[in-house]
Formats: sequence, structure tokens, C-alpha cells
Amino acid sequence: MISVLVVDDAAFMRLAIKNVLEKSGFKVIADAKNGQEGIEKFLEFQPDIVTMDITMPDMTGIEALKKIREIDPAAKVVMISAMGQERMVKEAILSGAKSFIVKPYKEEHITQTLMKIATSK
Amino acid sequence: MGEQYNGDSLLEMFVFETTQNTEQLEKIILETENERHFSDSAINEIFRIMHTIKGSAAMMSYSYIASLAHKAEDLFFFIRENSSIEYNSSLISDLILLCMDFISSEVNKIKENTELDINGADEIIIQIEKCLEDIKVGKNSNPKEISNNLPSYSFKAILYYEEGCEMENIRAYSFIRDFEEYVQNISYNPEGIIDNDDTAFEIRKNGFLVFFDSNKSYNELNDIIMQTPFIKDIDLTLLDIEKCSHECTDIKPEDKKDVKNVLIQNEEIHNNKAENHQSAQSIISINVSKLDKLMNLIGEVVIAESMVVENPDLKGLELQSFRREALQLHKIIVEMQDMVMSMRLVPLTTTFQKMHRIVRDMSKKLGKEVMLEFIGEETEVDKNIIEHLSNPLLHLVRNSIDHGLEMPEERITAGKSPEGKVTLEAYNSGSNVFILAKDDGRGLNKEKILAKAKKNNILFKPESEMTDRDIYNMIFMPGFSTNENVSEFSGRGVGMDVVMQNILSIGGAVTVDSIERQGTTVTMKIPLTVAIIDGMNISVGDRHFTIPITAIRESFKPKKNDIICDTDGNLMIMVRGECYAIIKLHQQWDIETEIQELTDGILIMIEQDERRRCVFADTLIGQQQVVVKSMPDFIRRTRMVEGVAGCTLLGNGSISLILDTGWLMNAEIK
Repeated sequence: MISVLVVDDAAFMRLAIKNVLEKSGFKVIADAKNGQEGIEKFLEFQPDIVTMDITMPDMTGIEALKKIREIDPAAKVVMISAMGQERMVKEAILSGAKSFIVKPYKEEHITQTLMKIATSK
Repeated sequence: MGEQYNGDSLLEMFVFETTQNTEQLEKIILETENERHFSDSAINEIFRIMHTIKGSAAMMSYSYIASLAHKAEDLFFFIRENSSIEYNSSLISDLILLCMDFISSEVNKIKENTELDINGADEIIIQIEKCLEDIKVGKNSNPKEISNNLPSYSFKAILYYEEGCEMENIRAYSFIRDFEEYVQNISYNPEGIIDNDDTAFEIRKNGFLVFFDSNKSYNELNDIIMQTPFIKDIDLTLLDIEKCSHECTDIKPEDKKDVKNVLIQNEEIHNNKAENHQSAQSIISINVSKLDKLMNLIGEVVIAESMVVENPDLKGLELQSFRREALQLHKIIVEMQDMVMSMRLVPLTTTFQKMHRIVRDMSKKLGKEVMLEFIGEETEVDKNIIEHLSNPLLHLVRNSIDHGLEMPEERITAGKSPEGKVTLEAYNSGSNVFILAKDDGRGLNKEKILAKAKKNNILFKPESEMTDRDIYNMIFMPGFSTNENVSEFSGRGVGMDVVMQNILSIGGAVTVDSIERQGTTVTMKIPLTVAIIDGMNISVGDRHFTIPITAIRESFKPKKNDIICDTDGNLMIMVRGECYAIIKLHQQWDIETEIQELTDGILIMIEQDERRRCVFADTLIGQQQVVVKSMPDFIRRTRMVEGVAGCTLLGNGSISLILDTGWLMNAEIK
């Protein structure tokens, strides 16, 4: 089963993503409400994939992404962004994010993207 | 010259062993051919085989075979002793195959006691000598195309992203970044995707155009690209092959290393195989005629058993202990029967592997790229049946390659990988074995078949009533071939009906399915064995008949209300809303019986090839394993026996005729 770490500052979003993923057979092994906690949980649980909100207080998703990629250069991180965050998304991709999903998203966007990323090299 | 082939055991052994050796040799050559270099173990093995053939041929005084084998042995001796020598393995493979073909055809002639081609070896010997000379002076080295193992092709891909996925330009950028790991010389349009957000609209509208070179197959690349998130569709095309193959003839040092690695790996595999051979010593070979005899004897035992147990002298006696022992005897006999049966079962592996050769020869000649795939080749079939399978399979594989598969360019334009695929698949199902020959070629052309059928006047029912299946299956009719060009390999219009005849003769059935532009599948249904079957014994008047249990759906006493008579006087029976034709055995064969009315006797519903009919008989006697015997020659010679597949002995010693279900289905009802 594919294990996922969900990082998002909004409890609603964490729950929403978790529901979608578990319905489709993913295992959400942990969630985190900011970048710092995300890195700690990443180290602790070593998930197959991380979904990372871009805008979060304290430490943004991009900084967390960079740290995670430093820890594990093969880490698979998918960014969750809002519309109109082109600059941030670009930075995330340049920093090694595997893909990104734009809110508001369709359920299958999340499941398909994660499935493809998890099964690719 | 050798003596006549009349069961002389030494000669028999020579024929047997040489045939095995040539088959083994062919296998080795075909396995190593693609590696462009013979491994040490392959060289040793070829050398050993040639040496053995030379020795035994000389013993049997077939001196021309011996001298041919001797020359081939010389060639491999030289290669073995000069391991650093450069040679063209493809050329040598061809030569050895030629040599082997000659030897096996001569051995066949010896076996069949026909005239031998004593001077036929001379030319091949000269060729081998020349080849050896060339190698010695270093003229005959491998052409420098080692990198051909990894040819690189140019591709063009247009990627379409899902609607509403947003920021297509950044996605495209991320795709390129990941994709660069798999391919070379990547270029794309629009450019500047990461800096210019307007390109997102362009990609959304026209797709994202990418050019690249890769040594991966079309399908692999397709899969890799589709693995990218938010890609809705791709349009992947292979660009000019010619140009590419020229470009990559110069060898890069790292390629060389790869090739070497491959060689080393292969050698390991070969070594493992050699070990396997040694451990297989616990197997002995037995003359098939002995097995046939044993099978017959077991059949007699089965009959003798029921003769004893159902002996009329025992009627009405209370024989508890006798019955118990008889049961024990029965158990042992059944086990013996299974054992003998399993001894006769041979895996299809060798039969399948024989196809490698024809695939190799044809793909070389016709310029088609063919991959041969086996599924379930370990499936076992009775030895007697396997002999009837070789030819049909050969025909089918030939047909697939010759007519089914397209030329590489045509395949690429059709969006397929340039390499065509022929699959041979086998699996067990009940007491049958299914063997499928599939290809992913252009499929059958319905219009052509219909037109041809009309021309040859073999339409068996109105065109409008024909299903696709009916149309496709017409290709099995005698004298049918839509291919205008008779090639070296197939197209004489005798192939498919030969397949049909062969399979029918062993009690099987053949059907064909096809999807235009996607391929053709020929399915052969073959009984696991023909020797002993489960049968239902029935009686009509004082005659006994046996129907194979596998063909029986049900049996029942008909009710008067269910019997329907149509305007032509044909009788039919209504069962659960379906109508079935009735064939009355006593009328069919003019047998005298008191039971004439349907309601007095019993109906047995039989099924074959998804069609059903009801057979009317007096009574059911009971189910029994019966040993199938073919009709004695003197009966077959004097009169044509229609509708009888064979005969068998019943427990009480009377003879029962085994009904041919195929005939029951198609016979004209009297």
C-alpha cells in the first residue's frame, strides 16, 4: 500500500485529502500542520509520497520541500497550490517537486497524480 | 552405405541420437545468434555435437555425413583454440544451420529408406573450408555494429494535458526534467516554458511538442510518458529509422562495456543450464511403441476388470468380501491408468521451440521484425497427439508472419511497435488442452474472405446470415487462400485446411477470431488423450452405443407436450424455452427396436462447439470408463462407417460403438 504524508495548515484540507486518498486505497500514515512538523514527520514515518501545501505559516511548503529533498534526494513530493501561484509553483518544481495539484481540485486529480508518481521511478 | 532401416536397433539409435543432437544444435545456435559472439560453453557444445555426429555417422558408414560433421568440428576447434580470434558469428550460424539442415534431412531419408544425397555435402564442406580460411587470415571479423544491440530511434511526441490542470508550462518543464533521464537529444516547442507563462495557453491549445532519441521501444516510451501526472493523451510517432541506424554505428566505449556484461551474464546462464543437464540423469527414454503397448494392456485390464466384476455368474450372489476386494482392485487400476497416461504426456515446450527456427528464417527473408512469445509451454499433451500438432502450428506461425504481421513501416504508421508479436499459448481446461496461436498483425479481411468464398462458391449459407465468426472460419475450408502472392513460405491455399484436417483427426476443433488491424487468434481445442474416455453407454434395440460424457449436457424423458413437429415433419423438443432438433438413432441406422415413441425412450442432449442436439435412444445403461479402439481395418476397408468414432468393449463382453459427436451435430436427420 502506498503511504502518504499530508502537510497542510488547514485541518479541513488535511481531512479532505485524507478521505479521498484512503477511499482509493492509499494509506495516510501521518499529517502535519506546518513545514517544520512536516519535516519531522517525514523523518519519522518515511512515507512513499508527501503532499505539501505551498502557503503555510512559520515555514512555507517550498522551504520544507527543499529540506526534505536535502534529507532524501529521491523524495517524492507533490505540491498543493492555489490558482495564481505560478511563481511559487515554478520555484517548487525547480526545487525538485514531482508535480503539483491546483486547488480547487477534482478527487481523481489527487489519486491519479499520486498513483502515477508512486509507481514511476 | 548403411543397411536398410528395418528396426535395426543400432541404426535406430543413430537416427534417434542424431535427430536429438541436431535439434539441440539448432537450439544453441538460435540462442547464441543474437549475442553476436559464441560463448565458450556454446562453442564446446557445438564442437561436442559435431564430434558425436561424426563418430556415429562414420560407424554407420555414412562417410559423407561424417566428413561434413568433421569439417564443422574443425571450424569450431579452431575457434575454441583461438579464443581471441575475430569472426562473424552470424555467418557461422547460417553455415552451421545449413549443415544441420542437410544432416537432418539425410537422417530422415535414412529413416524413411529413400535415396540419399551423397554429394550434397560437398558444397557445404567447401563453404566451411572457405569460412575457416577467412577467419584464419582475419578477413571475416564481425561487422562493426555491436551497438546494434541498442539501436536508437528518433521520436516525436505531442503531449496533451488534462483540461483545468493549470500551469501547463510548468508541468511541461517538470516533464522534460524527468524525461531527460530516459532519452537523448531532447528538444521541444514552445520553448522558454519556465519563464514565459503565456506558453501555458499555447500548450493547452496545441499540445506540447517534444522531439527526442531513444533506444527504448515504442511501448516503453508510451508507458513512461503516460506515467506523468495530468497527461490526458499523447501522440507518439517513430521518425525515420534509416537515418538513425546510420548515425549510431560508431560505437561508444560504454556500449562496448554493456555488450561485454551481457555476454558474461549469458555465459552464467549457460553454465547453469549445463548443470541442469547433468542433474537430469534420472530420466530414461523409452520406445514409444512400448508405451503404446502398455497403454493397450491397461485398456485390456480395465475391460477384464469389468468383465469379472459384472460376470453373469455372480448375479444375485451376496458377495461382501468380493465386492470390497474388487473395489480395491479398481482403485489400483485407476491409479495405474493415470500413471501410464502421465508417462505418455509430453510438455509442449519442444514443439513450441521448434517455431523459433521458422520465425528466424522468415523474419530474415521477409524483413519483418518478429518476437515469438510462449505462454504455458509446459502444458502437457499425449505424445500421440503432439505429433499431430507440429505441422498445424508451423502452418499457423508461418501464416501469422507471412500474412498477419505487417512490414515494420506499416506497423509504425498504424501506431504499433515495429516489432510484430506472435504468441503461442497453451492451457488445460477440463479434459481438453487449448492451444492458441495469436498475432498482433493486420487481422483478417472480412470482405476479401467473402469475395473469395463467393468466387470459389463455398458459401454455405446466405451472406446476410453469416456472423463474423462464420466468415472467418471459412478460411479453414479446402482450397481457400486470399493471398495473391505465393511466397516461399505460405500462400498455396492448402495451409489452413491442412490445419483443420490434422486437428480433426485427433478429435479436436479449430476456430479463428480476428479483429481488423489488431490481430488474429486461432484456437485449437485438443483432447488431452484419445485412449480412454468417460462414456455414457446407451442402447437402441439390441445395439450398444457410447457417447463421450464431456459432450452430454443432460438426459431426460420427454413430455408429449414439449414435442414439436414442423411442417417438413422434422421433430424438435422444447426444453426451457429452447428448441432442439432430435436425431433418432434407430431411424438413422435402421435398427429394429420396440421403442419408437419419443415418450417411451430417453433423450440425451449433446453439445459441441456451442451447438446442441438431442439424441433419442431406448435407455441409458450407465456411465463407464471405456478404452477407445479404432475400428478394425477389415471393417474400415469394406465399408465407410459414418458417425462412429471408434468402438469399445463393455464389461459383459459386448461391443459398443462410440458415437462421433461431430457427426451427430451435422448429420442430415432421416
